Amino acid sequence: MFKELYNYRQLLKSNIKKDIRGKYKGSFLGVLWSFVNPLLMTLVYAIVFPYILKDTGDNYVTFLVIGILPWTFFTTVISQGTYCILANAGIIKKVYFPREILPISIATSGLINFLISCLIIFIFLIFSGVGFSIQILWLPLIILTQYLFSLALIFITSAVNVYIRDAEYIINFIVSMLFYATPILYKAETFAGSAIEWIIKLNPMATIITCYRDVLFYQSLPHIKSLLVVLLGSIILLWLGYKIFKKLEKGFAEEV
Amino acid sequence: MKTAKSKKKKQKQESYAIEVKNLTKYFKLYYDKPNTLKERLVFWNKSKVEKKVVLKNINLKIKKGETVALIGVNGSGKSTLLKMMSKIIYPNEGKIEINGKLTSLLELGAGFHPDFTGRENIYFNASIFGLTAAEIDARVLDIINFSELGELIDTPVRTYSSGMYMRLAFSVAINVDAEILLIDEILAVGDQHFQDKCFAKLRELKDSGKTIVIVSHSLGYVQKLCDRAVWIYNGEVKMDGKTEKVIEEYLKVCG
Repeated sequence: MFKELYNYRQLLKSNIKKDIRGKYKGSFLGVLWSFVNPLLMTLVYAIVFPYILKDTGDNYVTFLVIGILPWTFFTTVISQGTYCILANAGIIKKVYFPREILPISIATSGLINFLISCLIIFIFLIFSGVGFSIQILWLPLIILTQYLFSLALIFITSAVNVYIRDAEYIINFIVSMLFYATPILYKAETFAGSAIEWIIKLNPMATIITCYRDVLFYQSLPHIKSLLVVLLGSIILLWLGYKIFKKLEKGFAEEV
Repeated sequence: MKTAKSKKKKQKQESYAIEVKNLTKYFKLYYDKPNTLKERLVFWNKSKVEKKVVLKNINLKIKKGETVALIGVNGSGKSTLLKMMSKIIYPNEGKIEINGKLTSLLELGAGFHPDFTGRENIYFNASIFGLTAAEIDARVLDIINFSELGELIDTPVRTYSSGMYMRLAFSVAINVDAEILLIDEILAVGDQHFQDKCFAKLRELKDSGKTIVIVSHSLGYVQKLCDRAVWIYNGEVKMDGKTEKVIEEYLKVCG
């Protein structure tokens, strides 16, 4: 697998570039849109939610930004990734290349976008007075976990979506539901003791977002055991997803 | 003794660029293809599927350095065979073995992005064929010269005429430097001058020992370029041999 990917590394590189730049080509703000959008979302939540939640805590805007930017990374990768095989039907029918390049480049361009938007998080941390601590060293591991987790998911969803076109809509629905089952707008402790707590505990994205919060916002040690469980689970899921993708890939050119 | 034998066997294998063994391919024809979950659930046993056999038990060996034409009427399965050789689709039975780097020019300009310039598209298109940035850098001048686009290479591809578009696409594909070239009916590119140039380039590739497989209806070109022709009729190899003879027979039946 790796040898062929290495041979096609240029395609991977130019595909990532195309995913980042091609999407906003022609629009006035260009790539900036991928940062303006989550920031506007944050603004809306920051205005509305203090009225709904009893206790938003200090620095609610920074709290929100740390949750919303990783979440945007996740949803962008999932929604673009699920559609990526169908979106490239033209070249899939005409040329051979390792098909896994398509999901990998979606996940990677999402990752690059997120790394840039980390700067925004840092700006918020500085200006809100929260600042930094040594715990920030955990950040790369958390980002890696999220990257592998979303890549594993889109290996499966992109391949399945070729055969069952509903997958896209079902997944988009699940993702938007998951938004509320992930502690983005609220603290993870809000639901302690209730049935919803279990959903949050079983949701890998909840663990990941909580880890971001811990190391950036609360500047405490993340829950290492949960993080490692999610990381390990993601690696297994990645292997499984890759197998499924390889199995279904043979029919892509005939089905798209 | 044993090693000598296996070595000999290996040599024998490698003298073939493409080996097609007992290959069968059928497409499923759905009368009402269930594409959504609802349709799949509701009509799970109702949708009529008919198997249409496109290629039946094909056996074909193409030596290194050979230039072979696949001829036959529309729908006889030539392009399907070519698509399987390039691993775009896969056979239902049998297998295909390829020895060497393969490039297929099934359709020109795959993956061209209209908003990117000609030069950017060269990079993108060549990378689809598996070239690295350094390899493309080394070829980019050849490609631009061959396409005769000159200054226009730095303007977006959407501003090109269809002829210019095809010229650029062909120039990229032909300069990829593969050992095996699969070409599907793309000799009719551009004006007479450019067509002659393409033909000369293919000649040159042939003389340099590349293996070329062409699907074409331009029998004139085929006759001038290929040493061997394979006539595919209704999914089976009807005749395989010297180009003139096969074309002669083919014209008797289909002419």
